[in-house]
Amino acid sequence: MIQFWKSFAIYAGLVVLVAFAIYFSVNVFALSSLRLDEAQSLFQTNRDISGMLHLVAQDVHVPLYHTLLHFWQLFFGQDIFVARMLSLVFFVGTIIMTYVLANYALKSRSVGLFAAFLVTISPFMNWYGSEARMYTMLSFMTVLNMFFFVKIMRMSGSARWALWILTGIIGVYTHYFFVFVLISEFLALLVVRKKLIDPHALRGVIVGGIVIALSLMPWLYYVYSLGFASNTQPALGVPTAGDLFDTYAQFIFGFQAPIINTLIVSLWPIVVLLAFFALQRSKQKVPQEVLLFVLLAVVPILSAFIISITIRPFYLSRYLIVALPAVFIFAAWVVTRYRRRIAVVVSSLVVVVIGCLFAVQVLSPNTPVKEDYRQVVQYLEGNAKASDVVVLSAPFTIYPVQYYYKGSAKLTTQPIWNRFEPGGVPPYDSAKVAAETKANVDAYQTAWLVLSYDQGYNKKLKDYYSDHYKKLSEKQFSPGLTVSEYRVRYDTPVVIE
Amino acid sequence: MEFLKLTQTSKSLLVLNVLLSLVYFACIAFVFPAGNVPLFILLVISEIFHVWQVFGFVHTIWGRRRDKKFDARFRPRVAVFITVCGEPADIIEKTVIAAKALKYPYFKIYILNDGKVAGRDNWQEAESIARLYDVECITREVPGGAKAGNINNAMTLTKQPYIVVFDADHEPKPTFLQETIGYFVDEKVAFVQSPQYYHNASLNQVSGGAWEQQALFFGPLLKGKDTVNATFMCGTNMVVRRVALEEVGGMSEKSIAEDFLTSLLIHEKKWKSVYVDKVLAAGLAPEDFLSYYKQQFRWARGSLEILFAYNPLLRRGLTWAQKMQYLASSGYYLSGVIVLINALLPLTYFFLALKPLTINTMTLALIFLPYIFIIVYTLQLSSNFTYTFRALSFSLGSSTIYMKALWATLLRRQDAFAVTSKTRIGGNHGKLVLPHLGYIALVIVGVAWGVTREGWSPSMISNIAWAIIYIAAFAPFIAAAFERAPASTPVKKTSVIDTPSNSEVQL
Repeated sequence: MIQFWKSFAIYAGLVVLVAFAIYFSVNVFALSSLRLDEAQSLFQTNRDISGMLHLVAQDVHVPLYHTLLHFWQLFFGQDIFVARMLSLVFFVGTIIMTYVLANYALKSRSVGLFAAFLVTISPFMNWYGSEARMYTMLSFMTVLNMFFFVKIMRMSGSARWALWILTGIIGVYTHYFFVFVLISEFLALLVVRKKLIDPHALRGVIVGGIVIALSLMPWLYYVYSLGFASNTQPALGVPTAGDLFDTYAQFIFGFQAPIINTLIVSLWPIVVLLAFFALQRSKQKVPQEVLLFVLLAVVPILSAFIISITIRPFYLSRYLIVALPAVFIFAAWVVTRYRRRIAVVVSSLVVVVIGCLFAVQVLSPNTPVKEDYRQVVQYLEGNAKASDVVVLSAPFTIYPVQYYYKGSAKLTTQPIWNRFEPGGVPPYDSAKVAAETKANVDAYQTAWLVLSYDQGYNKKLKDYYSDHYKKLSEKQFSPGLTVSEYRVRYDTPVVIE
Repeated sequence: MEFLKLTQTSKSLLVLNVLLSLVYFACIAFVFPAGNVPLFILLVISEIFHVWQVFGFVHTIWGRRRDKKFDARFRPRVAVFITVCGEPADIIEKTVIAAKALKYPYFKIYILNDGKVAGRDNWQEAESIARLYDVECITREVPGGAKAGNINNAMTLTKQPYIVVFDADHEPKPTFLQETIGYFVDEKVAFVQSPQYYHNASLNQVSGGAWEQQALFFGPLLKGKDTVNATFMCGTNMVVRRVALEEVGGMSEKSIAEDFLTSLLIHEKKWKSVYVDKVLAAGLAPEDFLSYYKQQFRWARGSLEILFAYNPLLRRGLTWAQKMQYLASSGYYLSGVIVLINALLPLTYFFLALKPLTINTMTLALIFLPYIFIIVYTLQLSSNFTYTFRALSFSLGSSTIYMKALWATLLRRQDAFAVTSKTRIGGNHGKLVLPHLGYIALVIVGVAWGVTREGWSPSMISNIAWAIIYIAAFAPFIAAAFERAPASTPVKKTSVIDTPSNSEVQL
């Protein structure tokens, strides 16, 4: 009977967590403005399959999420809210699978529930839980794949292998970064190989990895045949050590203003203390599966960091969402290693801080990832006339603006870019600024310069406009998103009766 | 006994420890730009010490233990020495009763009574116990050599080829001799040491902290030392071959860490040693802070003395592995200075805005965290996760004791051999942690000063975090100093007996 009530309490807890995630997603996050990446998703999926694949291949992504979103929209509608609900489905799946995985791997329901709880209240997960992108699908595939991987570590059986390979294939078709999951799993197996029940597990994982890699070949060939046209992507900077620790801070505490972020990551020495508490006298043995979570929490982030500083920058915290469930499962397990009083203090403190910063992320206009293009468009529609022009930079920000824009002023970009023509966004060329500006604004009374997603030239562009035209107003809508109004012509516009 | 359940640490993990510590050191010393030069030099010195300690630890636990020659049929005659110096009669009595219960055919018990030469009021109690239990009591009339002198004196009056030494409070298990004597079948074995276990470990903060510190030593460290024939005698729960001891002139009376120095001298003569990783006797940990303080001072003083006066690196006859082990053990007590340097770094930043390195704090984190995590994990893994935060606290908190011992050693001051009290010494020992309390006060003032100067900068926050770690680490140590004795515990003054120079100096 006690067992029944324990199970009931666990499932009731999971229901509450799922309800929490759905409530905040539907009522808070999914109502926010369309963001650049989402606009790209919609732009890519609002066409036939071959056209969509062509665009996705030109981008830096793999096509599974876009294909799913394409059909999701066919069934449920084209609105951005509807598109976001697909991510919510995967977010909910991640919460449940985090519980299942942690419970199975570490043989502890409390660890499972606490890990699922942390995933649920993570401001980072909530943000991507309602963004029309593939990131929650990626996290879901990660926990699913890890679940079958732990089964492989525990016992032999062909069904487990098949499911691990299948989820692996779906994973690599969800995001390229899924490969870090496979690498982490391989490393974990390499370390614990002598303790495995199935002596051929390592060989099996290598063969499985090869199968997964081969399954990706057709797509890679397709991308290769298109010439890797990936210059529609924003330019990424070389990450610093601060960015690396920011990633963990974002996973746990969400997207915060720089001052809060600095405060959080600078407290890093305290982690040493927490680690020591976790490893001191305890009757619980350290399960070998913990290594898997440690590796998955570290390897993807460290690998992306090292590759980004040595080969090519592609370090983005959202790509590294593969590490997030492992971080939370490991954190939940660590707390159970503490003595009861310390565990209560540490976990309460962490939950309270996460809760507060969750609220800050939702309410603060300074949240760095907020992109309020909807308000920008409302502002432009209320102020820009047919005799005005709206100039967008970086050029690819035309996607989210155009999604909302129904105004009468012309939309253009600078550098000038026709996204319906083959090829990527043209680079900024200071020799062409004068000519492009003239071409963009010369025929209009007022130019509305919308700057966001700085690709390294927003300031130069703004300075050029400020030097050559009279600035009438300037307004910031979210961090890094400003609209400046410039008087271009002083003659009275011709009125056609 | 959890601390004896050694988890065999994989060699790749140990190599990783060495690599990460070298990478960390290289970054600190050669890659990161130096800030304030004196601070930078101090930091590099402290990191050299840390790298050395990591190397020493890895070297200690690197080897795999092999079964040593043992013959249970080997039954020579044994003299059991119970060293006494004014301990309460009930404690001596328990030890005598336990010794009489030893399951072994050929042994004779001797109470080595130093109470008289130490001027103890109760010195005759030992003789009464001897009469009561029909054991021999050797009461010294002429002082000298402290505990070592007491044992050496008894050696002249006895003839058994093997000598067992128990402190007055260490009650042997009946199987003690059965488990140890068999190793002497190897004619090169000079002594066999077994763990020094405290059965009063859970009594209070002091006894708990003292024991948890010991657990690391009697767990992975001595087991590791045993693999390279570098086990050293710990003063009690040991069996010694008389011939070996006589070859080095008996227990050394030149140091207050007589057991440590004698072991070194014996190893120099190419004798072997054995560590038996079974609890074969249980004794008493210091129960009050003053006793703990004095015990630590004595060990630190003795070990540092050996480092400077008998530097293991310069001793002939020792293997390189033995030199490394003796150096690591005696050099450990230099950590007092290292803790001081590291703890002062946040203060120099708070008050003077001086930093040893001019790098982003997150870059330091990137190098430091993997290094420290892997070391803490390896330490815990090798000790079967028995190394507690309280043990860490007592080790870091004792830095003031180690510094005092270093100072005394450098000045060649004579100190008394203070027997660790077997009963609790009453009173408030808060004054012994005044440096720690002063540190906390300085941190509070320093944070206020620093934040006023530059606000909550990343460096300021990181330095505050470091200071918090030191304060957290000192906290159990400070709390132990203020711990009050329960009313039921007998309260007694410490016993101080003669030093080689017969001076009596209270610490």
